[in-house]
This record gives sequence, C-alpha cells and structure tokens, in this order.
Amino acid sequence: MSLLQAHNLGVTYPGQASPALQHVSLQLGEGDLVVALGPSGCGKSTLLGVLAGFIAPSEGSVSFDGQPVTAPGVERAVVFQHDALLPWLNVADNVAFGLKLQGVDKARRQQVVADTLQLVGLADVGRKYTWQLSGGMRQRVGIARAIASQSKILLMDEPFGALDAFTREQMQQLLLSVWQHAGRGIFLITHDIEEALFLATELVLMSPGPGRIVQRLRPGFSQRYRDGEDVRAIKSDPDFIALREQLLRSLFAQRQAEAA
Amino acid sequence: MSANEHTLIRIPDTLPTSQRSRRPLSPTQWSLISIGSITLLWWAITASGLVPALFLPPPGDVLAKFGTLVSNGYMDATLQQHLWASLQRIVLALLAAVAVGIPLGIAIGTYPRVRHLLDPLIEFYRPLPPLAYLPLIVIWFGIGELSKVLLIFLAILAPVLIATAHGVGSVSTVRQQAALSLGASRGQLLRYVILPGALPDILTGIRIGLGAGWSTLVAAELIAATQGLGLMIQSAAQFLVTDVVVLGIIVIALVAFALELGLRRLQRRLTPWHGQTH
Repeated sequence: MSLLQAHNLGVTYPGQASPALQHVSLQLGEGDLVVALGPSGCGKSTLLGVLAGFIAPSEGSVSFDGQPVTAPGVERAVVFQHDALLPWLNVADNVAFGLKLQGVDKARRQQVVADTLQLVGLADVGRKYTWQLSGGMRQRVGIARAIASQSKILLMDEPFGALDAFTREQMQQLLLSVWQHAGRGIFLITHDIEEALFLATELVLMSPGPGRIVQRLRPGFSQRYRDGEDVRAIKSDPDFIALREQLLRSLFAQRQAEAA
Repeated sequence: MSANEHTLIRIPDTLPTSQRSRRPLSPTQWSLISIGSITLLWWAITASGLVPALFLPPPGDVLAKFGTLVSNGYMDATLQQHLWASLQRIVLALLAAVAVGIPLGIAIGTYPRVRHLLDPLIEFYRPLPPLAYLPLIVIWFGIGELSKVLLIFLAILAPVLIATAHGVGSVSTVRQQAALSLGASRGQLLRYVILPGALPDILTGIRIGLGAGWSTLVAAELIAATQGLGLMIQSAAQFLVTDVVVLGIIVIALVAFALELGLRRLQRRLTPWHGQTH
C-alpha cells in the first residue's frame, strides 16, 4: 500500500514563464526506494520540496496516508546534502532531536539513539560534535536522525552529493542495509546515474524545461544486493552497464532536443 | 620562445627558510611587546624633557597618582568608588539592552514587517553623537541615574539589535527545514534552532555594544554625576590635572579590555562550533 501519493503535481515559480515541475505523479509505499534522477534544473529538488511540504504546488496534490500534505510533518523526515545538523549538539543529541521535539522521555530516547547509532556504524562517536566528524560520518548522523525520529518515510535531497566517490559507495550500501532494517519508504533525488540504478526499486528519470518525468524503470539491483550479491558484481553486471548507458543516452538526447 | 614557456610557473629551487629555528612568539607575547613599546616611548618622551608634564605626565607620576587616588581619592571619592559607580551604570545599561535588544532583534529578523517598521527609527538614532541628544534626555528624564543609564543603554542597544536581527535572519534555511520535518513547532524552531544559531552574532553584538557603551560614559556622567570615572576625567581636565586624566583613561581601557576578554572567552565556550566547517 502506498503511503505517499503525489497526483499531477505542477509548480510554477512567480515570475518564471516555464513551470519548474509539470504533470508529476508518483507513489511511495513502505518498502519502496524511489529515486528521481536528472540533471540540474529538472525539478527534482522542487519535487522533494513539495513532497516535504516546504513548497506549495501550483497544481495537483500530495497526500500522506490519505491526508492532504500542506506543511512539513514528522512522518516525512528530510535528509539534506549538508548543513542540516545542529553543530551545538553532540552526535547523540542530534540523533535524539526528533524524539525530543515530540516529547519522548529521556530513557526511551537514549535507547533509540544507541540502537540507531549502532545501525549506522557510529556507536562510539555519540559524544563528539558534528563538526569534528568527516563528511561521510556527518551524513550517517543525518540518516540516523531521520531514522530515529518517528518518521514513516525518508525524503533524501542528494544525500551523498558532497562526498568523495569512495565514501559515496560505502554510504549507498549503508543506506540499503538501513532501509532493509528500518523498513521505511525512501524517496531520494540524485544526479548520479549509478547511484540511482543501484539503489532504486523504482527509478524516475526527469528532464528540465519544464521539469517532468520522462521515463520510469524498475531496476531491481538493490534487491540483488539485499539478497547477498556483491556490490562490484552488481555494478559490473552487463545488465547494469546496459541500463546505465541507456539512461545516459536518454539524458543526452533530451538535452539535444532541448537545444534544437 | 615557444608558447609553452609562458605557461610555466617558475618555482624557486630553494624555498626561503629561516636560518635559525626560533620558537614563534605567543599572541600574549606580541601584545606585551606593543604595550611595552608604547610605555617605553611615553617614558622616553617625558624623560627627555621635551614635553612639559602638564601636557604629558611621566609614567612614574601617573603610577604615583594611582596610589594617591586609591587611598585619598579625587573629587570626594576614591578611585574604587568612581570605578564602581561607572561599572554599575554600564552593567545596568548592558542588561537592559540585552533584555530589550534580543527579543526585538528576533522579531526584526523573523518578521519583515517589524523590520520595515523599526529600521528607520534605529538608523535615525544610531549615528547620532550621544552629546547631541543628551540635552533632550536631561529635559525629559531629569538629572538622576535614569538619564545616565539611558544614554549608555541607547549606545549598547543598536549593535545588539542589529547583530541579533542579522544572526536570526542568517540561520541556515536547510537547518530550519530539517527541524520542521522532524516535527518542530514554531516555538521549538526558535528555541532549539534559531536562537542557538544566532548566538555567535548576538555575542558579537554584545561585544561591540559594550565598547560603544564605554565610549558614552563621559557624556553620561556629564549629567550631574557625583561619582564615576567619566566625571573624574572631566573634572580633572577642567583643572588641568593631566595625570588624573591619563590615569582615568588607562583604568577605563583596562576594565573595558578585561570585560572584552571575558566575553571572548564566553563566546568560545558557548559557540565552539562557530567558524568550523560543517
């Protein structure tokens, strides 16, 4: 059953002729990992903003569990690329932040924080401050904070975009194991084709001018990773490479059509 | 000459290195050097006899005066009593400026309408020299403590207001959105995200404000004061007691510097994350 439903979304920013987003519909269920892939300007950040409740759509509607979405809400935790943690709190307090806002008692908070930090491999840095950590570790804290909160789904805004290639690869695998463990739906946006293919249960390819969905795929590689297959084997599989090249060609074709 | 040669950046074969490995001086040592040099220069000028003591008393005389003022006083009050009177005014004005400036600064930083309303008023009074509106304050509020504290309060208020509004306005949007998506209410957002995020700016505003407060002390104590460092300096100036003037200046500078160091320390303790890449 799908929790989050977006129906025929359109966003036109004031003073802009072309819509930032047009005719976008999608659904996100409990075990889904929907990835929006596209170049800058394709409206994927706008789409995430609408789903999160930060941006009001000019057309269409979003609902969560049958209720219309009009504002940010605790059931839809957002993970940003950077700058979203609170540097005056230590790692444990950052992870506990969502629960504290909800008035969850301290003993329970500590339990959840310990479990979640364990899950993202940060069990021994709870007392450190976020600015004392590497970029990859900070993103783990961000993911842990979203998981520890009472969210039902995670909305991830290019969560690994600022990381180096090696860390990014590790984080993708971490995300899949966390997703499996926490059992929450994830909507993630990225401009990295490999990342999108590897992670997505459903991949939506987006294109600019106006921002819209041009293709939908169900890659299924994340399921193979969950079933125990090696990540390098998956990413060098001929099927993976063929899909990657097809998406790349499709992106370039869109760009040329636009320029013409 | 080929085109390639132009693109080469010449790097010297040997980089200049210091001949002897010397231990670098600490910041405190540098500061002591500058204080020591200026004192030495002061002493040298007065010792040479080129400048009469009326214009510039020798360091020794000022030090001796310090002893006299501590034990016998000047203008019916000891140096400690003058200092205490001034400190009380400054601290009272500072507390009032913080109590008014921070909430108002938050409102200005949060609501554009409040900013548009108050901006002209703040920018109207802020550049005015305190001596210019001093007569009005005396006419309106009399010659008591209130007028003195009010004058200092106004000087501290503007920097605190402006810094708080700026700090509140520049709290990262992403950080606020993330907190909202974790279920923060407006009040929780202010308390847990906006205020801590603005704290470095607020503390900087208080530091600048305190400096402005000290600089209006003499003007404030023109208003029928019987005690205070500002009063002490003015009276001494009228009777050409230059050593008391110099001593008053040094005492104000030392006390203000001590407060500034305390605030800097507070800032480092409260906001160690400020300026870190995050």
